[in-house]
Amino acid sequence: MLFDIQTTISLAACVGAGLCIGLGAIGAALGEGYTAGLANEALCQNTEQSGDILKNMLVGQAIAESAAIFALVIAVLLLFMDMSSNTYLTAAALAGAGISMGFGAIGSGIGSGFPGGQCCLGISRQPSVASKLTTNMLIGSAVCQTPAIFSMVVALMLMFMDFGNMPLLPAWAALLGAGFSTGLAAIGSGIGGGLAAGESCSGISRNPETLGQITTTMLVGQAVSQTPSIFGLLVSFILMFKTFPETSSIAMAMALLSAGICMGFGGIGPGIGNGLTAQGAVKWVSRNVEAAGELTRTMLVGQAVSQSTAIYAMVISLVLIFVM
Amino acid sequence: MENFTELLQLKILLGGMDLRFNIETILMTWIVMAVLIIFAFLATRKIDFIPNPFQVVGELIVTAMYDLTKDALDEELGKKYFPLICTLFLFLILCNWLGAIPTLVEPTKDLNTPLALGIMGFVIAHYSGIKAKGFKKYLKEYMEPVFFMAPLNIIGELAKVVSISFRLFGNIMGGAIIILVVSHLIYSLILPPVLVAFFSLFIGTIQAFVFTMLTLVYISVQVK
Repeated sequence: MLFDIQTTISLAACVGAGLCIGLGAIGAALGEGYTAGLANEALCQNTEQSGDILKNMLVGQAIAESAAIFALVIAVLLLFMDMSSNTYLTAAALAGAGISMGFGAIGSGIGSGFPGGQCCLGISRQPSVASKLTTNMLIGSAVCQTPAIFSMVVALMLMFMDFGNMPLLPAWAALLGAGFSTGLAAIGSGIGGGLAAGESCSGISRNPETLGQITTTMLVGQAVSQTPSIFGLLVSFILMFKTFPETSSIAMAMALLSAGICMGFGGIGPGIGNGLTAQGAVKWVSRNVEAAGELTRTMLVGQAVSQSTAIYAMVISLVLIFVM
Repeated sequence: MENFTELLQLKILLGGMDLRFNIETILMTWIVMAVLIIFAFLATRKIDFIPNPFQVVGELIVTAMYDLTKDALDEELGKKYFPLICTLFLFLILCNWLGAIPTLVEPTKDLNTPLALGIMGFVIAHYSGIKAKGFKKYLKEYMEPVFFMAPLNIIGELAKVVSISFRLFGNIMGGAIIILVVSHLIYSLILPPVLVAFFSLFIGTIQAFVFTMLTLVYISVQVK
């Protein structure tokens, strides 16, 4: 090793903190900008509701911000925590924690912007249902945060769990891979969940009587959009909790690292795709509520097919972990 | 701080098998069941035209869940599966809320509970699918679009169990870990009750509903 243990750990903590808040700031800013943009449009259409729209915009932006705040918390912890255990593995775990939270905050930040913006537009269109719209937006964007919460959980586990008795050589790659897996897979799920939530706010403002069915369809659609990030979480858990035999070859370590990266990238597309399906289903439930049951079933079958690519990625990463 | 992965376990060696029971989870599940049974007893004890408060709450829940079941399935099948769906929802929501009370923990924080319920839903969905369509037509669905996709279709079905149970587990466990870490860092000042309200009550309610709805639509996809 090039450096002594303490230097390596603080180096990894600094790199992790930088990646964490640097990447984590991307999504929230985009989402908030989208919300504010649509709030301007809403104000222009209905100037009388300016107070409500402004309040709603700020609430929506505050929720989109929470993903970036998660990243900030992890970054501050990485910089200022006293790390009790000091092995080279701690360094890998800290870098993994930063990567997980940094990538994980992107999707939820962007996603939470959609319901906020659509809710402002909805209030300008249909001021009488403003409070119902706000409630629906709060539920939708809170569910959007789930992938970011998964990333934060993986980050906190990487930081606080004791990996002391694991062999260094394959385990460092496993811990880094655990960070990549949940972090990258959370991007798609966050955006996808946001698409469904945004369309539901728009749908309620068009047809307020369908509130119950729209919220139900939105929640089911969002839940299925999150499946890729759950696969990411599963692969991360396996990478963190499985004990690997010590090897001197680099091949095992690389297999574990690529298992995480494979699941991570593989989860981005299906997450967004499932979100698009859910968006379509929510949109048409609001226009033809009698077909709600049929639409939900079609949505689920379509999502299952679009999800199959995430399943391919999961199969390959499990093969990389258990067979290679 | 490292103790969130430790569990109180009872180990029994029976005929070469190493059986382990998570005492805490079992105890908390019993508490939930006791609360549910007492509530059901109070709600149905004196059913009257002028209802008592428990009956009002009971009727509200039952009608809301019945409408959902009826929408997803149809009138006849809805009546058949409604007791399962309603019980599942009530059980899960109480499980998730239990963590808001100090010293009690959510049974759903232990992966075994969501996994067991997920497998239950999977078995019920596929059993009703076979019953509704017949075994041949059920098998044929795995061969779509082409026959060699069958292994991936089977993995896709199994992945549903993984996703439904890890979704509940990840949310509840994640909330618990975040509450633990944040409370530790700020010496339990002011913030923990807010976090408990958000994670246990709000997210807990949403996730209980999502789990129930997914079980329902999985059944509905299989029978239609």
